[in-house]
Amino acid sequence: MRFVLRLLMCIAVALAVGFGLSYYALTDGRLFGAVSLGPWTTWPEIGSPAPNPYARGHITREAALQLGRSEGLQFVATTDSDEAPLNLACSYRIAGRVPVSTFWTLSAVDMDWVNMAAPGTDAALRSSEIVRQSDGAMVIHVGTGLRPGNWLELAGGGDFQLVLTLYDTTALSSFASADMTMPSITMEDCR
Amino acid sequence: MIRTLLWFIGGALLGGIIHIIVILTLPLLAEETTWTRISAYEAANRMLILEPVTPGIPNPLHLDPELSYGLCQVDLSEGPAYLNGVLPDAFWSVAVYDRNGIVIYSTTNRDGIGQTVDIGIFNPAQTRLLAQQQIDIAEGLLIVESGTNDLFVLVRLSPPHEAMRARFEAELAEVTCGPRT
Repeated sequence: MRFVLRLLMCIAVALAVGFGLSYYALTDGRLFGAVSLGPWTTWPEIGSPAPNPYARGHITREAALQLGRSEGLQFVATTDSDEAPLNLACSYRIAGRVPVSTFWTLSAVDMDWVNMAAPGTDAALRSSEIVRQSDGAMVIHVGTGLRPGNWLELAGGGDFQLVLTLYDTTALSSFASADMTMPSITMEDCR
Repeated sequence: MIRTLLWFIGGALLGGIIHIIVILTLPLLAEETTWTRISAYEAANRMLILEPVTPGIPNPLHLDPELSYGLCQVDLSEGPAYLNGVLPDAFWSVAVYDRNGIVIYSTTNRDGIGQTVDIGIFNPAQTRLLAQQQIDIAEGLLIVESGTNDLFVLVRLSPPHEAMRARFEAELAEVTCGPRT
């Protein structure tokens, strides 16, 4: 009886560890090749010609057109800087600087990558369309409620993720300086 | 107690093995991959402009709404594939993907190519012929070597303003892609 119980426990542990760890590695993946900078996450290996097995699994799972290493890097944020999930009931402020790049775009998508921009507005913001502060930093408002300044107008409800794509960037490459900073995401108010 | 702990550790080790097997076999077992999604577009040996991203419409390939995309699927068993054309004066980049959706080569127009795209993609046998000067190529051709035959090429072009998108996409569609006839 004891043997059977131990065997069952052994199998349960094996399945939980095996598949749980695999699921974690391919979704969050912070211990397995994904790099986090504040709330932003990216897979720097994803554009390399010989990615590691985890990046390979991630490429397969996404089945999307990934950026090559020399083309740029895509950062995704699912939470704000306080690690609360991004939700369309709230409005957010993205402030700070991005790593050196030729240009970047910012868009909001839901968990299935459907674009959440309000109908009739720009589907994404682009670095050349942004009004900057006098010191070169940027402040972008994201949400469904009317906001002053740079505003990425969204529509709908539920959780969403922010996608910041840096094209032709030095971020996370050997040319990058050590102080890589990404903008912060701060919750402003909720309905 | 000790024996239960040993069984527990055994389970964790077995879990580690399952984890490694899952990660290594996942790319082989996946049914819907980048390649199957791309193959649905009928972009063999021609430059197909992908539909721009519209809010509310699914976007399985994770395209960027600000960019224009030109897609071309090539098969090197038909001969070396050439990508040739002139693109507008804005940021653009070229990526060559293999069947697994892995970028085997990528470059941007900031690498000193200017506005002209002139790329030849060769498999190992064709590269050997190239080295023996049995394939004629024009001077200045950018040579990309690929280990496999099934590939697709994606050109990303960034119109600085939405009003330029139509003209930029028309110019992108002019780019030729595929084996030399």
